[in-house]
Amino acid sequence: MKRQIPILLAIGASLYPVVAFFVPTRGVTRFNQTLDEWMVIIASFALLLGIVSMIQVNLAKVRRRTSGWPFGLIVLVAFAIMAAFGVFGRQGARPDGGLYPFTWVFQFGFSPLQSTMFSVLAFYVASASYRAFRVRNVEATLLLIGALIIMIGRIPLGEMIHPVVPDVAEWIMKFPNTAAQRGVIIGAALGAAAMSIRVMVGIERPYLGKS
Amino acid sequence: MHWAKQLLLVDRRIIFLLVFLGALIPIIRPIGLGVQISPPVEAVFDAVERLRPGDAILLSFDYGPSDGPELDPMANAILRHCHKKGVKVVGISLFPLGGVDMGIARLNELATELQAQDGTDWVNLGYKDGGQAAMKAMGEDIAAVFPTDVNGVAYRDLPLTRDIRAYRDMKLAISLATSVLGEWWINLVNAQFGIPVAVGTTAVSAPRYYAYMEAQQAIGVIGGMKGASEYEELVERAYPELKGLSRTATMGMDVQSIVHVIIIFFILFGNLMFLLTRRVKEA
Repeated sequence: MKRQIPILLAIGASLYPVVAFFVPTRGVTRFNQTLDEWMVIIASFALLLGIVSMIQVNLAKVRRRTSGWPFGLIVLVAFAIMAAFGVFGRQGARPDGGLYPFTWVFQFGFSPLQSTMFSVLAFYVASASYRAFRVRNVEATLLLIGALIIMIGRIPLGEMIHPVVPDVAEWIMKFPNTAAQRGVIIGAALGAAAMSIRVMVGIERPYLGKS
Repeated sequence: MHWAKQLLLVDRRIIFLLVFLGALIPIIRPIGLGVQISPPVEAVFDAVERLRPGDAILLSFDYGPSDGPELDPMANAILRHCHKKGVKVVGISLFPLGGVDMGIARLNELATELQAQDGTDWVNLGYKDGGQAAMKAMGEDIAAVFPTDVNGVAYRDLPLTRDIRAYRDMKLAISLATSVLGEWWINLVNAQFGIPVAVGTTAVSAPRYYAYMEAQQAIGVIGGMKGASEYEELVERAYPELKGLSRTATMGMDVQSIVHVIIIFFILFGNLMFLLTRRVKEA
């Protein structure tokens, strides 16, 4: 029964929304809405799992004084501070116009730090483009030409060079790009549908673990 | 060593310095380059422009601070547009890494700029985990997913949301999204519930949404800082009284233009040196 009950639950929980979609009677729909609300709650527990894992990993790093352990300590302290502000405080603007601590730390600490981290990518893109983007064959040359047209067409300079440049860039986005994206999206969707059917009929059982 | 090969090994700090100067100089001395409007952005603008005073839209802040430079200007421009049209905004967030705080910051900015009122012009229902599960549940009852707003006021007590039960009571859903969230809005919310969906996203993700636009599953896409600058331009053309408010994306396009030129130069120069070294080797 240790294996049969989870399998039956998984099959039931995955088939029910499909049935509810095609049989939209009041009773069927009501329980489907309840299932949706349960899913939102379970998804929040998944977030909790991530938090517990993060704490365990960094605590172990600090205890054993492995390489980079001060950064693990910073992670734990920052997490504790933000969690305290979030759980025991409020978000947004105070009535006096100031900001609650959680929002203040987010806007003036976390937000600039994350923006800065991603801004650094611009420098590495420039350096990597110079060193690695080489026309070694026909395909690479076509890629380079397409990339240059898009890069020029997506800035005001493109229109200054010639009014047709932005239109060429838009054509590339609308036709070759769309064709390629459709292939990727349909492929991924078919894969997801196949995997879902396998879970629904009990062939795939990722919830049972390695056993 | 051949001089071309020496140039291929130039210290990358020189490249970093040129990119830094290319970003800094246009900020200090703005160039003021023009903005050309593209059809995908115009489609989103027209969809909002067709709404009538009192109509409600759903605006989902599905991005974090790392995407703020591209998506914050979009949010500001859309919120200004909605306010001038008298369209009510129901703000939510389904992105865990700071989405709700990005929404709080944008809506507070709207309140400061145009004296918009929380509860009557807009509401911020906050963040809910669950992604697709939350999107699906909102199709039947938004209050079940967001029982209160960020200030703790019950959903049914908010003047704006009193008559809004689900997607069918709203005219448009706009997701300002990073990662796959924008696609979920299209695949699930538009496909199952029929509400028109528009997406604002980063420049890197924008090409993916052209497939949805061509299939008419998405009414339009605002892609990256360029798309944001186009929307800012469209709003200012339609409502000249908004002139003077910040146009962050339009200013940012000066920087993006110069840095693009620098990167294009390095790509072409690097390939020229590569071809020269190859010719020397073959000789």
